[in-house]
Amino acid sequence: MTVDAHVHIGKSTRLQIDADGELLVRAADELGFDRICCTDLTALFYDMHEGNRLLAREMRRFPDRILGWASLHSTRFGRAALEELERCRHDYGMRGLKIYSTPDMSIAEPAMLPILEKCVELEFPVLGHLTPQECEYLLAGVPECRIIMAHAGSQPFAKGDWNRAIMAAQRFPNLYLDTASSTIDTGFLEACVAALGAERILFGTDTPLLDPWVQCEKIRQTRLAKADLDLIMGGNILRLMGVEQ
Amino acid sequence: MIFDINAFIGRWPYWPMRAASAAEVVAELAGWGIGGAAVCSTRSLFVHWEDGNREAEHAAREFPELVPFACLGTLEVSHRLPVGGYDFDGYAARGFRGVRLYPQHHSYHPLYVDFVDAILEDAAARGWPVVLPLRTIMNWGMPMLEVGVMAALVDRHPRVNWILAGINYLHELDMSLALMRRHATVHLETSCIMGYEAIAKVAARAGSERLLFGSAGPIQHGAAGVAKILHAKVTDAAREAILSGNARRLLRLA
Repeated sequence: MTVDAHVHIGKSTRLQIDADGELLVRAADELGFDRICCTDLTALFYDMHEGNRLLAREMRRFPDRILGWASLHSTRFGRAALEELERCRHDYGMRGLKIYSTPDMSIAEPAMLPILEKCVELEFPVLGHLTPQECEYLLAGVPECRIIMAHAGSQPFAKGDWNRAIMAAQRFPNLYLDTASSTIDTGFLEACVAALGAERILFGTDTPLLDPWVQCEKIRQTRLAKADLDLIMGGNILRLMGVEQ
Repeated sequence: MIFDINAFIGRWPYWPMRAASAAEVVAELAGWGIGGAAVCSTRSLFVHWEDGNREAEHAAREFPELVPFACLGTLEVSHRLPVGGYDFDGYAARGFRGVRLYPQHHSYHPLYVDFVDAILEDAAARGWPVVLPLRTIMNWGMPMLEVGVMAALVDRHPRVNWILAGINYLHELDMSLALMRRHATVHLETSCIMGYEAIAKVAARAGSERLLFGSAGPIQHGAAGVAKILHAKVTDAAREAILSGNARRLLRLA
């Protein structure tokens, strides 16, 4: 089973995206993906309540295809954020938290720790657009939380330094790495698996920002055992989200 | 046969690579379905450009599927003013078919040094393509050119057969497309274009005749680079042109 752990749904003029469930499921069909894990752009960057509600609607339209990441647009909303996570879990059936971070508005701060504790309580993995250093701070605060470092360091704020991401994951056993990135350096995936094992690497494409065919090929055209590829291409994210395979 | 306009031989200083020698690179590219490539040596970027050119020259002698591009930088070293210029006839005799410039790796500003104008005028006279990479690979740890500098240099030398490389983000593509509209000599290489359906969008806006497949392999994953062309929503004729025909025409290869 192939599951894309990193997909965006909804609207963003900044990213030049307007993608509903139908567009994304059609793309998944072309690619041969069984399920896609989506985060709503409005929830991620503007209004968590509105965006998560929109995502829940798309999940109902495609219940066998779309898995939901609840999203928060900030750490600074206290109890409202915690209640939103409860709603996303129990009312919408979402399976994890997606959250963004930038150097100028980093979520590696004390306000994030209760959110992580809530995620532990709800059994939510956290897909964070984080640098290795941010992951280390957060996992030092809530070590039992399972954090997936989106892009595995291969994003602008982390300077594309996936070697540093691997080092962070070696220190923190609950830190996972997601493969979605504009970076397609050879040897990246082999280095991840050699250092961490295949169980901690998750396939993602960042559709519809990035070309998903590129993201597939950089994983499939590696010299890994089939069992390892099966974990990376879907087994790991389903296990983390608690979805029956 | 797929032809790669932007490949490398040589070592990579930032992390271990499994292909470095010409033989290893040719085998790696072949494994990705790439049968020929324009190359320069990473030694030219990180040690000395002419030492790297000698490596590229020898590699092409041993492996005819490799086409060497001369990576040219400043002639001034160790604070001694340069004597003489670039021996383009010599480069041609040694088998070189084009030029690559890496100002971001060679500590010069391409708009403010005379030698760049001299290189570009000679390249234009010979019809040699000049590869100008905005970035070497799509990784934010690498030094970059500024988009505006790239555009100004192209506008200053419109007779050059430009190959703009390392382009990815929307504003970078917009700059490239604007230059392609202004100058029929401007081509775009694909190694760092990662956006959703980006190849099809560029082909729709600028035509497929001036799009050239590049991998930045073996540093970047060549199979992933090929995949974005194979799955792009373009005609089969356009796909063939991007993967091979356009580069062969530009380099006057059989």
